[in-house]
Amino acid sequence: MKGDAVRGHLDALLLAALEQGPLHGYAIITAVQKRSGGVLELRTGTMYPALNRLERLGLLRSDWQSAGERRRRCYELTDAGRRALGEERTAWRELTAAIGAVLDPSPAPGPAT
Amino acid sequence: MTALERSAGPGLGPGSGPGSGPDPIDEYVAALAAVLHGPARAKARMVTEARDALTDGAADFAPHLGPGDAARRAIDDFGSVEEVAPAFQRELTIAQARHTARAVALTVPFLMVCWYWTTAVGQGRQLPHHAQVLAAPLGGIAAAVALLAAASLAATGVLARRLPVPDRLPLMVAWTGTTAGTTLGISALTLTAVSALAGNWLISGLLGVLTVVSHARVAASARACRQCARLPVGRPAI
Repeated sequence: MKGDAVRGHLDALLLAALEQGPLHGYAIITAVQKRSGGVLELRTGTMYPALNRLERLGLLRSDWQSAGERRRRCYELTDAGRRALGEERTAWRELTAAIGAVLDPSPAPGPAT
Repeated sequence: MTALERSAGPGLGPGSGPGSGPDPIDEYVAALAAVLHGPARAKARMVTEARDALTDGAADFAPHLGPGDAARRAIDDFGSVEEVAPAFQRELTIAQARHTARAVALTVPFLMVCWYWTTAVGQGRQLPHHAQVLAAPLGGIAAAVALLAAASLAATGVLARRLPVPDRLPLMVAWTGTTAGTTLGISALTLTAVSALAGNWLISGLLGVLTVVSHARVAASARACRQCARLPVGRPAI
């Protein structure tokens, strides 16, 4: 499933990937792919501007950390980021419930006789 | 099936080993860096992260594809420079706008208060009439650009969680910075002259130098912001 399918939900995916703890950029992408069972394929290059934007909005914070011989920029959720993730989850459940009700309607009860 | 597993499919050509030509990742990163403009630190960070992502991606693919094809596959997954540069540039343009807005919002009020204290309060008397005529609009402009700059900082920061950043905001910040730089330049000339005529050489000289330095910094930042604001940017990938 390509990027167009997740358009509108990228922020939530990135925030959710960081819910368990700090990760560096590539690990965030890998986490999203693994948690989706490999179904979601995110264009790697679109992630970094998105992470930068979420940090600018105060939803993430980041810092350079040493990992072996390399230094990587690791991201973690802020308190505002956790609240935003909760709001995204609520909005997603409402959306999927509404769309599910339209696409897969349960049989309406017949008129009382 | 994961992206990694798909990457090992038969559709990919034979790998090219190390030493068969320039490193595709180096070439890609150089091409990306060449088209991006913005604050040096922010640009360096984004380019470094892009390189890290490509290096990690190539390392993931290498066991299946060989080093050369693994690097090219990582680049394919990352997106071409033409595809990703607008989104990177949008963030760099906003970073430059915030840099300029911060410089204006902090520098202009501070200098105007210093000048007011030095020329009016510090000397225990009012400015000469011709200086007052000039100082009033300069003060008004300075207050307006400082407020605009502060509002721009808010609009590109926390407020942007609820309201999208207007596309033309960086250009507005650029001209706000240009106006601030011009105002600081005129203020430095006129108020230094007035203060010097009043015999307050040392303080007016120091403040004049401080204002000229601030003018140069704000004007340079505004110029960089104008350059960034003219570049094509992509919509945020949300």
